Amino acid sequence: MTTLLPDNRLKTDRDLKGLILKHYLGAYRAKGVLARRPVAWVTSGAPVEPLLALGILPLYPENYGALVGSRKAAVPYCEEAERAGYSLDLCSYARTNIGSMLARRGELRGRPLPPPDLLVTAKNICGVVVKWWEVTARHFGCPLFVFDTPFAADGLHPEQTAYVRDQLEELVVFASRASGHRLPPRARFEADLRKVLELTREATALWNEIQDLRQSRPTPASALDMFTNLFPIVTLRGTEACVEYYRRVRDELAERVRQGVAAVPGERYRLVWDNIAIWYNFDLVRYLHARGAAFVGETYTDAWGVYDFDTRDVSDPLRTLAEQYSLILLNVGLGIRKERLFRMVERQGADGVVFHSCRSCKTYSLGQYELARAVRGELGLPVLVIEADMADSRAFAEGPTRTRVDAFLELLEARS
Amino acid sequence: MPDLTAARAALGRLLAAGSDPGAYLSRADRPGRRPAVGYVCSYVPEEILLAAGLHPVRLGARPGPVGPADSSLQSFACSFSRACLDGLLSGLGGDLAGVVFAYTCDSLRAAAEIWKTRRPAGSFYHFLNLPARLDGPGSARYTASAFRRLAGDLASVDGARPVSAAGLAAAARLTAAVRGGLARLAEVRSARPDLLPGSAFLAAARGATVVDREEGAADLIAAATVLEAAAAGSEPARTGRRRILVSGGFLETDEPVHLIEEAGADVVADDLCLGARWLSLPDTAAGDAREDCPAGDPGSGPCPSPLAADPFDRLAQAYLARVPCPAKHPPGPRFDFVRREAEARSVDGVVFLLQKFCDPHAFDYPDLAALLAASGRPSLVMEIEQGGLTHGQARTRLEAFVERLRAGRSAAGTGCGAGTAGTAAGTRTGPTGRGAGKGAEGR
Ligand code: SF4
Ligand code: SF4
Repeated sequence: MTTLLPDNRLKTDRDLKGLILKHYLGAYRAKGVLARRPVAWVTSGAPVEPLLALGILPLYPENYGALVGSRKAAVPYCEEAERAGYSLDLCSYARTNIGSMLARRGELRGRPLPPPDLLVTAKNICGVVVKWWEVTARHFGCPLFVFDTPFAADGLHPEQTAYVRDQLEELVVFASRASGHRLPPRARFEADLRKVLELTREATALWNEIQDLRQSRPTPASALDMFTNLFPIVTLRGTEACVEYYRRVRDELAERVRQGVAAVPGERYRLVWDNIAIWYNFDLVRYLHARGAAFVGETYTDAWGVYDFDTRDVSDPLRTLAEQYSLILLNVGLGIRKERLFRMVERQGADGVVFHSCRSCKTYSLGQYELARAVRGELGLPVLVIEADMADSRAFAEGPTRTRVDAFLELLEARS
Repeated sequence: MPDLTAARAALGRLLAAGSDPGAYLSRADRPGRRPAVGYVCSYVPEEILLAAGLHPVRLGARPGPVGPADSSLQSFACSFSRACLDGLLSGLGGDLAGVVFAYTCDSLRAAAEIWKTRRPAGSFYHFLNLPARLDGPGSARYTASAFRRLAGDLASVDGARPVSAAGLAAAARLTAAVRGGLARLAEVRSARPDLLPGSAFLAAARGATVVDREEGAADLIAAATVLEAAAAGSEPARTGRRRILVSGGFLETDEPVHLIEEAGADVVADDLCLGARWLSLPDTAAGDAREDCPAGDPGSGPCPSPLAADPFDRLAQAYLARVPCPAKHPPGPRFDFVRREAEARSVDGVVFLLQKFCDPHAFDYPDLAALLAASGRPSLVMEIEQGGLTHGQARTRLEAFVERLRAGRSAAGTGCGAGTAGTAAGTRTGPTGRGAGKGAEGR
């Protein structure tokens, strides 16, 4: 590990720490005696905009799982869940959260997440979160809403859109009831919702601009910048703070491009990453950086660029929500995933693809072998498959992984 | 000892078909010789396939190591979905006119997507895009629309006929006869496991999803008739054995149930995909003769809410009303069912047979075990992979569990792999055998 380069961090990283702290502290305060604001535990694919329009504060246990994972602290929580009978084959975000919930301790100054007033889960990312939220609902005795988005293998059928849209209607009633609020008049709710949708749309547009800036050679941002910068688009989507933050990131990257500043000095190879980050092992990415391999795109970060709501459709703001939340990366078929991956490889000018085969996340990982075959066979690019897990470091074998990475680098070298 | 020859012959035919569907399908004397269409989840309505003039075959995994699927699906896909894909890739797919997958879980969805790209040219593929949620205001309407899509798509299978209301009604009568025969056998299994062991019941159920349904219904009814008469005319041959409910997924082989039986217990009830959960499907054919059962009349007894007139709506109602799979939401009805069934069948203990890497079952297990423990029923969790128990000491653990049950209910919650004991406010105490009983190995 002596060959690591020093981090070439973005200046905006400093602001990010503040944002994260503020978000979680705000959640504890919301549950305090003075500032009672209902808290909903939601999944990363939950339609959060109606909740925000209703004044509910969303908290993201998955993000908490990533936070614990990046502090290399997930294993004791996972073990806690395993002792309670949860199989060690279950998603490590789920085990981390269930362990923290059962043990009543956590990584936010020793505390677990503040308890929810209501729970909202969405099947668009996986079946796991439905079961995990059921466990949580039984634990807290808390009302639970399951937002069911049928698989959009090749796109959406009209009856699917209708089914999903009707649930959004139901969600609004559920959420206002569960949070102890009165249902606001329709016109006011829709006006508030449109404001939130507009903020999400703006943040998404900035996020996509940021991704586009990475087409530059050298790329102004690599995977580590993007993985850490995910936080606002995941957890603060639909707020002013999110938009403001990404404006600053965009400006900083644009400046880097103007000045030719590289995220990875001496960039030689341009790579795409597939799947969630390995939060406890950024050293692996740094190892690649040190050898001139920069990441110019990640399907994982790119997945947040889809919330491009059509806010012009004033007649039915729920419809655009139903569509966008059904078409997110993990709810579409391999055909569409392949198309999106190929497009990214081409657009960003990538020389190879790294697949993190993440044993926790079946919905993301299963099918990767087919995608890898397609990248190799149809695009003629080298691929690397890393078997690991995003939070549970017990599933990572350093030695064999390093050997594969080196072999992959040799392949890239031979082609250059 | 009553003469069970006729029942044995009928059950033998079912067992043979269930353990080798490929061989059954390629038999020259297969009744009907209708095009066979495989399906992979008990939420795929056989009724629609039958109404289309097709021969539905429930795909299970054949036991044994995974072959060609290994290069398509990582080892952490559940072994059932891996083995299903493997069976298709290694030749079974060629014996079938097509396959209907359904939305169940993340593993099966991936297996479906891979088969979709890998299947032989011209092989029919349909993904029945079912809801995960059964209690939504739109769940029934959406389910019916998915069923209609399936019916429409099936028209492209060579040799299929258009699905009509009359066809669906006839198919509903046939499937009701099959499930009715099995339900009678389930009663015998519970009352007289010495005549019909749980393993034989499961083998019959598996066979019933493979054989020609007319033939299957006749065999099931014949076997049930003989066994019921035998039960009425004899005394139980064995006593002192503990009564077990097994809970799990599909169960590709009877080996785990055999092992329980060999350990000195009878499997008298189940919460399995191939067993009670499937048999809980309401009889949609009954709706035809409902004039004598005015819905809403408080005096008319157990008369369910009125069935819809449209056959697809009616099917959707039935599939939403059955005991749900853990991959469906909400979980409450299954928890209630298991608790009630354990009670009604005077079960002493529960064995959870968890398919390795199956998320839906693994998430439910700790709370369900705690619920059972609270009503004095200890449980044991075992992990299944490729049809068999993965745990090295499966036999020893089962024997120890049965021994504990003999020693009495007071011992609940002790010993390696026992179900959880404490239930208060979500805190669980007591050892639980590290999730699916696998321990720290395998990482
Ligand atoms: S299974 Fe995957 S998508 Fe689902 S919660 Fe876990 S990491 Fe996220
Ligand atoms: S056993 Fe579990 S994971 Fe496997 S197909 Fe069935 S529900 Fe899915």
